[in-house]
Amino acid sequence: MLTIDKYAYNNEIASWSPSVKGLLWLVGMIIAFQPILLLKIVFLPIAVIYTLHVVHVTLHQYLKWFYAVIPFVALSIIGIAFTMSPSPKNVYGAIHLFGNYFGLAKSMMPMTLELSFRIITAIVCTYWFALTTPFQQIILLFKHLHFPSLLIEETLLMYRFIFIFVDSFEQIYRAQELRFGYASLGLSVHSAAILGKMLFEQVIINYQKMTYALDAKIFQGEFAVQENKI
Amino acid sequence: MIELQDVDFAYDDHQVLKDVSLTLGKPGQNVIGLIGQNGSGKSTMFLNLVGILKPTSGRILLDGQPLKYDKKSLTHLRQKVCIVFQDSEQQLFYSIVKDDIAFALHNLKLPQDEVVARVRKVLKQLDIEHLKDRPIQYLSGGQKKRVAIAGILVLKSEWLLLDEPTAGLDPDGKQRMITLIKGLAANGQKILISSHDMDFMYEIGDYFYLLQHGNIVKQGDKKTAFADDKLLSECSLEQPWLMKLHQRLGLPLYEHADAMFEDEQLIHTLSAIQ
Ligand SMILES: Nc1ncnc2c1ncn2[C@@H]1O[C@H](COP(=O)(O)OP(=O)(O)OP(=O)(O)O)[C@@H](O)[C@H]1O
Ligand SMILES: [Mg+2]
Repeated sequence: MLTIDKYAYNNEIASWSPSVKGLLWLVGMIIAFQPILLLKIVFLPIAVIYTLHVVHVTLHQYLKWFYAVIPFVALSIIGIAFTMSPSPKNVYGAIHLFGNYFGLAKSMMPMTLELSFRIITAIVCTYWFALTTPFQQIILLFKHLHFPSLLIEETLLMYRFIFIFVDSFEQIYRAQELRFGYASLGLSVHSAAILGKMLFEQVIINYQKMTYALDAKIFQGEFAVQENKI
Repeated sequence: MIELQDVDFAYDDHQVLKDVSLTLGKPGQNVIGLIGQNGSGKSTMFLNLVGILKPTSGRILLDGQPLKYDKKSLTHLRQKVCIVFQDSEQQLFYSIVKDDIAFALHNLKLPQDEVVARVRKVLKQLDIEHLKDRPIQYLSGGQKKRVAIAGILVLKSEWLLLDEPTAGLDPDGKQRMITLIKGLAANGQKILISSHDMDFMYEIGDYFYLLQHGNIVKQGDKKTAFADDKLLSECSLEQPWLMKLHQRLGLPLYEHADAMFEDEQLIHTLSAIQ
């Protein structure tokens, strides 16, 4: 998922004002949640093609990013679409189970369709926003929207440290793998346990180092969030 | 001037600095080297100098005044004595280079024009103008190092502490570092550098302290500090090659490599051998 971040800095509309992008995202979300299905069906391919175009990403790579969310979407849709019914007439593809019939609920079909399009449109919109908006613009947008500064600082630091965390994870993992730490199931479990422990220790050490560095840079308890016109 | 008087420091019960006394910033000593092997206590000493750690006994004086550890005094101290950490990753907070470089200036609540002017100047000085809009997480180690130094240089402090500034740099990066340090020193900046890169230290420093297991075991200028090969070996260090040439081959002791390569007499003598 971190590659999404890379694209956010290097796309054709990276320099657009974050407020404009935020507004466009909102319009997309309204389209996703309004009741006219046709509008969504028209909107969806346009949004996808536009994203592929400005971000310079292949359809294949783009679809891969959906793997991360598809399980959740699928689970919720399955929960609604499939049902048990005493009569086979109410369901498609009925399977006789414990005296009832299991299958796709006929009465639920319009709703399932509606829901699927709503979710997919919302995801496509959000990906468009995430793929085209560099992080510091998101922070500026938060600032424009008068989000509490505590939340903004928290987001800022989390973003920065996600990368440090992922880096440490990769380093330790590679070091273990190079020395055959994941050669068998037993070893893997053992190595994974050590990895977890080391990451935890690293977090504590990093926290200490961060405090030192903040002191050295005369931190007064508030992170400045503003556009530096440099 | 920074003075350490009988400074001891221990992490919990692990004694790291032992009775360290020294005076930094005497006239003619603008670039001071702190040399010592891994774990000898260099970084720990730096953290004591900027008031992040407090000596367990003894005291540190800045311009004759003992360090005070209340917030106001520390803020004052950290504008005069600035540190660039060994690990540059730890010193970078923002996602974009220019924002990070401006961080300390915003903390001091300087006016926007001043912030912009200082950041621009430092970007130019370190030759990193092309990086200013780049996200920090995708920079190389050497680039991160330069950004970390930039974020401290903007403070225009009297003292600059550089903890292992050449670690992980390629030859070009190292050469740039040498040029940078020389340039800063020529402008009157006082610099304390820790390292075990002996040739680099020899090239750049005016005066040296040799640290072994938390003790200062030797101090002096180029001629004296690196003269004792046996002591250096005991400290797991190596003589700079110019010193080796001097001691083992009887060549004159050159201040830096270029001085040797430009020595007409030496070139003449050597070509006579062939
Ligand atoms: N936070 C800490 N807690 C406990 N002990 C520490 C801590 N940091 C350092 N030490 C110990 O203090 C000693 C000196 O460490 P220090 O980092 O000052 O050495 P150094 O001279 O900077 O070494 P290097 O060249 O590897 O950077 C080492 O033995 C180290 O294990
Ligand atoms: Mg160190």
